Amino acid sequence: MFRRIGEKIIKSINVTSTLMILAIPLLIFAPYFLTDYYLSVLRTVLLWLALTISWHFFSGLTKYVSLGSAGFFGLGAYFTAKYLEMSYRGYLPHIPIPLVILIGGLINFVLASVIGLVTLRVKSIYFAILTFGISEMLRNFFQWWEIRITGTRGTYLPIIFEPSAIYYSILASALVAIILTTILRKSKFGLALRMIGECEEAAVHIGVNAILFKTLSFGISAMCIGFVGGCFTTRAAYINTDIAFDPLFSFLPAVMTLLGGGQIIYGPVTGSILLSLLEEYLRAMYPHYFLTILGFLFIIIIMFMPNGLIGEIEKIRSKIKK
Amino acid sequence: MIDVIIGGAIIGAIFSLIALGLNLQYGVTRILNVAHGEFLMLGAYVTNIFFSNYGMNPLLSLILSGPIIFIIGILIQALIFRRIISISRSAEELEFRSLLACFGLLFIIQNMVRIIFGPMPISNVYLTESVFILGERFQLNMIVSAIMSVALSIIFYLVLRLTKLGLALRAVVEEPTGAQLLGISIQKMHSLSFGLGVLLCAISGTLVSMIYTNINPYIGPQYTFIALTIIVLGGLGSFIGSMAGGFIIGYIYYLSLKIEPLIVMAIIYLFLVLFLIGKPKGLFGR
Repeated sequence: MFRRIGEKIIKSINVTSTLMILAIPLLIFAPYFLTDYYLSVLRTVLLWLALTISWHFFSGLTKYVSLGSAGFFGLGAYFTAKYLEMSYRGYLPHIPIPLVILIGGLINFVLASVIGLVTLRVKSIYFAILTFGISEMLRNFFQWWEIRITGTRGTYLPIIFEPSAIYYSILASALVAIILTTILRKSKFGLALRMIGECEEAAVHIGVNAILFKTLSFGISAMCIGFVGGCFTTRAAYINTDIAFDPLFSFLPAVMTLLGGGQIIYGPVTGSILLSLLEEYLRAMYPHYFLTILGFLFIIIIMFMPNGLIGEIEKIRSKIKK
Repeated sequence: MIDVIIGGAIIGAIFSLIALGLNLQYGVTRILNVAHGEFLMLGAYVTNIFFSNYGMNPLLSLILSGPIIFIIGILIQALIFRRIISISRSAEELEFRSLLACFGLLFIIQNMVRIIFGPMPISNVYLTESVFILGERFQLNMIVSAIMSVALSIIFYLVLRLTKLGLALRAVVEEPTGAQLLGISIQKMHSLSFGLGVLLCAISGTLVSMIYTNINPYIGPQYTFIALTIIVLGGLGSFIGSMAGGFIIGYIYYLSLKIEPLIVMAIIYLFLVLFLIGKPKGLFGR
């Protein structure tokens, strides 16, 4: 048995995994050789990378476009913030922060599974609309809760975290999301999802339980997004519904995937790294016009790079081979 | 009781006009325009230019602001969506890409309006006199808006049913390839329906801004969400569906506004999800 596992590991070593293994120590020791500013940039890149990969795990494989990431992200972030505040005031028991984030993720899993069971029966465009509604509903719910029940606007975190602690929490959530989805994508589960994406009817005919797999992967994707959201909370001293449920968290993962393009995982990775760096730069340089520029960028990417960066590179490569 | 019946119907009439434009756009072009609410907001702001600078009657200023918005809509369709249609290989790809492009539009319009007009709320409040219907008090502007919405919807329906143009539009909705074979210019129909959808939405924006005082650059997505709910509820591409959906959501909106105004959106969403469990294709969907 051990031999089989060993063989499997050796087989799976290729360019991607080597790069990943080399990158992990670099990422872990980054706080020791990067200044606070570059650390925060790296943190942002990791955040978007994790979000995009989690989104891609469901929407990229099954081709059901989910626009509800902001809802799950915000729920993860808000749950963590509220729990920390409540436990600081003594209403709820103190538990370690990673555990709080974990619970937030699990809540997301349950919520997404319930919503998925209902909505994944409907065709793709209905699904996009319904998921778009999730984040609006959750934002509305939390706003109502704050105004009517707690009488506050937003939440101040009782703890201020060190830059390196924030970095490590986001790194941890990114690694969890990336490793979990990578393992699952390579398994039979991932194969089934890809098949659903290619042709759902055929998949059902050969005995893939499409509803179960779709729901599970929607839940897992939401859970990972929730982890990232929970870790995002450590970054902000103050959080409100407009920050946590920012629609950008829903749309950017989709655009990043589209920018990267291609069928394989390099696409979303490349797209998210490039676009998040660009977004960070634009936000710093043009704070007022940032959204307009980003909007134009969206449209230009969609109009002129229909296959994404990786798709274009693949095209050129296949031309050279010929 | 009478208050709810009439109030819900007023809101419903306006909502169904908002949804009508979106439904037309989706039915003909297969573009799910999530920037729809942004055009509503834009319509309100363009009307406000005439209203606050020249004191022009908002309903009258539609004669000026209508063509402006209509041309903006046609330009957007020609510059952006024509290319997206030509590069997409399948209907799903087109839907996904145009959806994302619409989000780009949403950010651009919202941000530009905020930069040009500032973040402070505006309004074109007009006709604030009270009217009594069966003993209940309503503002005159609500009644006028509702009547205008219904009238526009009926005119639109008659155009769709009785004219050659309407026949061509319906043919494109039913069977795009067949329509093209019969000599209907798909591109013309696409521009026209996109422009008309934007125009209808901008008119409803003017009507909404006559009633409410809190028109700001960020109200768009809320109305988009309502319009989306309505057309999903009624069935995508169905005229009767979007009218019926508009009134249903109007009543729910009005009732939840009476009971708990802060959680209206969540209630509407919950209703939509529960409804779709029973009828996944909407009321009149095919």
